[in-house]
Amino acid sequence: MSGALVSPDLFTLCKVLITGIMKIQSDAILAGAPVGSPVEPLRGLAYFLMEDWFLTFNAWMIAITIMVTWAAAIQLLTMMWIERKFYSRLQDRYGIMISIWSLPFWPFSWWAKRRNKPTHRGLGYLQNVADGVKLLQKENITPANADSAMFHTAPVLIASSTVMIFAALPFSEGFVIANMPMSLLFILAAFSLAPLGILIAGWASNNKYTLIGGMRAAAQLMAYEIPLLLAVVALLMYAGSLNVIDIVHKQEALLVMLGPIPIPAWNVFSIPQFIGFAVFLVAIMAEMERIPFDIPEAEAELVEGWLTEYSGMRFGLLFGFKWLRALAGSALVVILYLGGWSGPVFVTLTPAVGATVIPIPIIPHEVWFLLKVYLLFLLFVWVSWSVPRVRIDQILNIGWKRLIPLSLLAILLAAYLAALGPALGGIR
Amino acid sequence: MAVDWQLAAFLILSVLEIGGSIMVVTAKKLVHAVFWLALTLVTIGGIYLLFLSEFLFLIQILVYAGAVPVLFLFGIMLTRRKIMEEVTPGEVLEGPGEAPREGLP
Repeated sequence: MSGALVSPDLFTLCKVLITGIMKIQSDAILAGAPVGSPVEPLRGLAYFLMEDWFLTFNAWMIAITIMVTWAAAIQLLTMMWIERKFYSRLQDRYGIMISIWSLPFWPFSWWAKRRNKPTHRGLGYLQNVADGVKLLQKENITPANADSAMFHTAPVLIASSTVMIFAALPFSEGFVIANMPMSLLFILAAFSLAPLGILIAGWASNNKYTLIGGMRAAAQLMAYEIPLLLAVVALLMYAGSLNVIDIVHKQEALLVMLGPIPIPAWNVFSIPQFIGFAVFLVAIMAEMERIPFDIPEAEAELVEGWLTEYSGMRFGLLFGFKWLRALAGSALVVILYLGGWSGPVFVTLTPAVGATVIPIPIIPHEVWFLLKVYLLFLLFVWVSWSVPRVRIDQILNIGWKRLIPLSLLAILLAAYLAALGPALGGIR
Repeated sequence: MAVDWQLAAFLILSVLEIGGSIMVVTAKKLVHAVFWLALTLVTIGGIYLLFLSEFLFLIQILVYAGAVPVLFLFGIMLTRRKIMEEVTPGEVLEGPGEAPREGLP
């Protein structure tokens, strides 16, 4: 069977790592400060470094740092790059192409000149880093009549509630900070905190466009939260657990053999859950404020919506948070409906270190998970750059009149089939 | 040194909660009051967490921090109280610093 790279979990890994590092330091201090030497008080430091609460605290800090760097830096850049590159291709152009050889300082410029490297024919991955640096250098302007305290609180509220999602969002069985018994509810609760921040941001800027944008954003996010949660209720009839890792485990079972290919029992392959999947997909697109539902920041009519008045890195934070939410939303769809990180592992390397054999999967769980997330995100990008924007009243009509009845239908069917499915010949 | 961390957390949360609820009733601007209300509700959720009832905590965050303040804000903004310090065009023209222009429609 397949395996995860991070096992048994991130915290244990960090604990082992930090214990090893602290052990080396502690031993070095103990060796350098023998009893009776003038530096003997240092021995206390050596014992302090090996204390359990200190190690645990550091292990948590490192685990959180790894997760935030991974999700909020690396994956954020990757998602932005995927979107920019993919919509450029949809519009029949190349998109961002700056290569690393265009950097104007020593090793890169020197090497580019020496080897005649093309400076503008690369992948363009670092373009987003350059944009971020540009935003960092810009001035932070607070509008004269803005409510300064609220204006500066709103980005913090939005960004922190978005980063909070990643405390419970697993990238594989082990690659998760906190494996809570009710992590799905935690993720949804953290998702639902953003409308307050958006409304406050729109109000505090003291600008009519931002206020309209904030009101629209809050109305839309509130309206689409309900079908989202109802679709999850339909899913819970089948999953029977609020823990996302349990939900993924439930989907790893075999559904049917299609010739030689085993089809796993993903939630999307059942009748009521497919309805729920469709509802969830549309609702999560609205939660991400992607284009068919991006009326809160419709460029043509509301300048930039509720973030018009933000500038500098505050704008960058609010702008980047959209992709973080897109990452979290795609990951949530993959976890709930598309089997999470389960996938076939073709070969497993088994290098022997001394007497122990460590199996290393060639395609580990994390890679499968990211692959599914990226593919789903490509679908979102494709939809959002192909369809026109929906008007605000139409958005609310779709949310309240179409998606909520559909999700209620999904709940009814799911309850019926969860109770009577085995008696009806295993229909799910 | 034994520190009762739970007690410390409880005290911090209670101070935030009481302070927040006082600010709710004394804030001059209604939107500020809603913001303080959200803070109060979140800290109540934190106290639920101290009682080891995680489900109640998460539902509190989901419902009372995510939804109720937003509904209040909607109520405030839709009832069209004076929500922004906006200057109507008439006020500008009739202000003391502005000389009345002639010949303009």
